[in-house]
Amino acid sequence: MAASSFSSAGKKIDVSIDQIISLINRMEADGIVERYAIGGAVGATFYLEPVATLDVDIFVAVPQKPGQVLLDLRPIHDYLTARGGVVEGEYIVLAGWPVQFLPPTSPLVEEALADAVTVDVDGTPARVFTAEHLAAVALQTGRAKNKARLLQFVEAGMLKAERFQAILARHGLVDRWREFERTFLRTMP
Amino acid sequence: MSFDLQRIIESKREMRRKLAGRPVAEKLAMLDALRDRARTILKAATRLETALLRESQPEYRVNPRKD
Repeated sequence: MAASSFSSAGKKIDVSIDQIISLINRMEADGIVERYAIGGAVGATFYLEPVATLDVDIFVAVPQKPGQVLLDLRPIHDYLTARGGVVEGEYIVLAGWPVQFLPPTSPLVEEALADAVTVDVDGTPARVFTAEHLAAVALQTGRAKNKARLLQFVEAGMLKAERFQAILARHGLVDRWREFERTFLRTMP
Repeated sequence: MSFDLQRIIESKREMRRKLAGRPVAEKLAMLDALRDRARTILKAATRLETALLRESQPEYRVNPRKD
């Protein structure tokens, strides 16, 4: 995969998302995370046309000790900083990309992580949310950019209706979807 | 000059369809390039915003009261 380059403090650095995917695969194989899946705009790019984004959202299930209530992302940060990652606030910068590791915060995201599919990216396996889960998460999140992404999925005909509707029903999103349809899809050609 | 909005919208839609159908590896490489461009635009936008703020400042200047 061709890498682009950008200038950081006058220094040219080659950056590429596939480097991040390889690193995360290794991290999973080493047992630092139980399972990962790419979501957000980068995840959507597996199904739609690429849309500019400044960060990568990676959802992770992490091994938990008995009695542990809060999820501890420190092992991820420790693992990645030992391999060149740099922690910047909520992000860890890998291969020039700010990457945010997100634990599943709702049953919908838990399900999206469990049902994520593996896609071959030039010989590198990458796990990504299904199109239907990406769309449902966008609907649940509900910000303007999420609604725009949901529209892209609908326009591109990327959603299997039966599967999508079942997800909406399971996670109490049917009314929100009806509202979305009323607002954005009634006038669609 | 004729301006057929419907044709323009359809050609944009067609381009998006073509892009969506490209191999994932190629699309991820495009993301790298897009991010590079977005960063450049953001930097330029920040500079522009700063310049605009500097230019608009006199509008808010008030003469000191002479009581």
